[in-house]
Amino acid sequence: MMRIRFSFERKMPLAYISHLDMLRLFLRALSRSRLPLAYSQGYNPHPRFTLALPLPLGITAGEEYGEVFFADKIMPDQFINVLQPQLPEALVLTGSAAVDPEEPSLASLVSAASYCCTLKSSSSVTVKLELLQAALDRLMAKEEILALRKTKKNKTTYTNVRPYIIEVSVKNADQSKLLEFSLLLQTGSQGGVSPGYVIGQLEPEPGAGNLHAYDWQIRRERLYFKQNGSMQPLSERR
Amino acid sequence: MPAIESKLASILARVQKPARYLGNEWNSVHKDHSGVAVRMALAFPDLYEIGMSNQGLKILYESVNSRPEMLMERVFAAATDMEELMRQHGLPLFALESQRPLADFDVIGFSLQYELSYTNVLNMIDLSGIPLYSDQRNEQDPLVIGGGSCAYNPEPMSAFFDLFVLGEAEEVLPEMLAELVRLKSENLERKEILTRLSALEGIYIPALYQPVYDKGVLKGLKKLDSRAPVQIIKKAVADLDRVSYPTAPVVPYIQTVHDRAVIELFRGCGKGCRFCQAGFIFRPVRRRSRQNIIETAKALIAATGYDEISLSSLSSSDYPQIDTLISDMKEALSASRVRCSLPSLRLDSYSVKLADQLHQGRRSSLTFAPEAATERLRLVINKNISEEDIFTALGDAVKAGWQGFKLYFMIGLPTETDQDVEAIVTLCRDIRRNFGQKGKRSLNLSVSVATFVPKAHTPFQWEPQLSRPEVLERQQILRSGFKTMPGVNFSWHDVETSFLEAVFARGDRQLAPLIERAWRLGCRFDGWTEHFNFQLWRQAFQELDLNAESYAYRRFSYDEQLPWNHLHCGVNKEIFIREHRQSLAVDLPQRSGQ
Repeated sequence: MMRIRFSFERKMPLAYISHLDMLRLFLRALSRSRLPLAYSQGYNPHPRFTLALPLPLGITAGEEYGEVFFADKIMPDQFINVLQPQLPEALVLTGSAAVDPEEPSLASLVSAASYCCTLKSSSSVTVKLELLQAALDRLMAKEEILALRKTKKNKTTYTNVRPYIIEVSVKNADQSKLLEFSLLLQTGSQGGVSPGYVIGQLEPEPGAGNLHAYDWQIRRERLYFKQNGSMQPLSERR
Repeated sequence: MPAIESKLASILARVQKPARYLGNEWNSVHKDHSGVAVRMALAFPDLYEIGMSNQGLKILYESVNSRPEMLMERVFAAATDMEELMRQHGLPLFALESQRPLADFDVIGFSLQYELSYTNVLNMIDLSGIPLYSDQRNEQDPLVIGGGSCAYNPEPMSAFFDLFVLGEAEEVLPEMLAELVRLKSENLERKEILTRLSALEGIYIPALYQPVYDKGVLKGLKKLDSRAPVQIIKKAVADLDRVSYPTAPVVPYIQTVHDRAVIELFRGCGKGCRFCQAGFIFRPVRRRSRQNIIETAKALIAATGYDEISLSSLSSSDYPQIDTLISDMKEALSASRVRCSLPSLRLDSYSVKLADQLHQGRRSSLTFAPEAATERLRLVINKNISEEDIFTALGDAVKAGWQGFKLYFMIGLPTETDQDVEAIVTLCRDIRRNFGQKGKRSLNLSVSVATFVPKAHTPFQWEPQLSRPEVLERQQILRSGFKTMPGVNFSWHDVETSFLEAVFARGDRQLAPLIERAWRLGCRFDGWTEHFNFQLWRQAFQELDLNAESYAYRRFSYDEQLPWNHLHCGVNKEIFIREHRQSLAVDLPQRSGQ
């Protein structure tokens, strides 16, 4: 049994497919590659393949992670060389390594993700830099942001998502470029919030209405795990 | 096309399932438009997920794109949210592969599989900025052509089309495109090109004929050009082993209705159910060889990575020694852990054995189509299975661990009485009594009841559809019968939907303005419950003073001129009359009052 952890980049237009479609896409590519996949036990054996954190629809990504188990030994380089030709151009494998079978699962490791939000050039929205900064400051000054969530029993409940917004910052020094800001958001089993939701909470000009996620191109830059109480990029895990 | 690309970028983030419109899926074919002699867009007038499940589309994509001098791209109906944004941003309908507007192509070919997609066809032509009616198009406009099962009576849509392909298009379509290139090089006018194309087998040019009516009754077709053939005969492939088959079909990014590889075992059906149009228009039965099937299946899995392959045809268990074919197939694909599935099971013990062979894991439910619940009515429709066959087969299935059945029936079949309808309830009750109580789990039945639609080129083409009040009454018999039966999930087809299907299935050229009117009133995706609005259709009937009921509810006579008389499906009228008379001669004691 061999466990390979790999990283990849997701570019446009593949941002427009859902998490489940991403899983199916990888599994079909793996099947075409004829690499010796390992299967789960039981009635309905499945290839042992996971992605660290679902990518929301419309979001590109710079450093995503996935894991796959093989029945035979595979060299990490061989994995990339054989799988990459079976993937669409917009999915680029950027690294791979053999991982100890005892290492915790990716899904249990990931606890935060950073995002870069850029105002689309096709958007008709104009926002002043200072006003965006002020809106982000107001957001962070709140103690509570109540989001309507569905519970398991198909009911709805309000959850305070403010604690899940760890960091926000405007990236532009001036407005010569497209407006851009970054978010560090908690994710995983301890609760989380999506970047689209956070954008929808911003109101740069009071009374002019909130921003819309669809006017922003969102890119997930990095995934983080918690080590000794601080967030470390997943790429730093050895 | 940068103009489309930037508009598209701002739209895609705002629509449902944007991957419907991406078009660079695995195995999609991207050719240089300036490097080919002819460019065709294959248009499917329904959502991507439906169209990409259609095997005919994949076959034609392969047959045209395998020729270096031709290219074919795909386009599907824009969902209503997408349409709204496209119109708002002035974005024309574009082909997926190159994102070029449809108006840039030489030919736009619609796959006509379902009558209730007709308003979508009009919407797609309009979104392309091409004139709706054939006689309004000029030399620069693409040829708008159609094919598929609805082309066997395309008359309601003929005013919108320049040309129809009658029959199986994988050979005749590339031939027609090659001839088009040749004729264009002679600098002929559009009208002359179309007239000359009518010389090809299976090609129907509606504008070459004019219907003659006497007091609203169709009397015949007048040829407007002496070169037009009197009758157009459908084209069929002679040998499936000798035509190209898509072994590397496009693999969608998103889940489609049939999300698996498909290998066609044979074309046609040896059964001859009298209501079934496919059973007649796809004659004769032509089989793919076992060796071809296995080799094609291996190539399909290698090129797509699918984990399931469907052994498809109208009645797959009729393939000779299908059991050994399945075991050979499993062996050939064992390395890739591919599942095999059969889409159509006969209701007999042999088919249940096949299902057991295919499903080693959990056995949820099996699907069968008895169509009618009394032996008499099954004889009328020529679906020759006995009550004993049914119970033996279901008994075997329950023993093998199947936990439920999905059963398809029809109401409104010729000669049907209330007793035949009540028998559906009785049959299901008996099935539950016989097999339900044994073991720990109870048996789940899912019963789906459609309304009979008389189709052109079948022995029942002259039969009326059951009238609306009678349909509602018989649906009520079923509803109240199943209400008190636990473990039965009963569903039925909407009466208005089936009515419109019948109107178009037997309609003539007088319906074109109706379809246009309904589309202008806002009708789209009429086959989808959430979009279907019969009020708008009713309004269109009234505005045009059209008696739609005469198409659906009237008994046509043997001597009258049927709207599709000039289109020959390969089966002679005498055979249909003989079959129809035989069906009406079936007389067992249950029958009364007919």
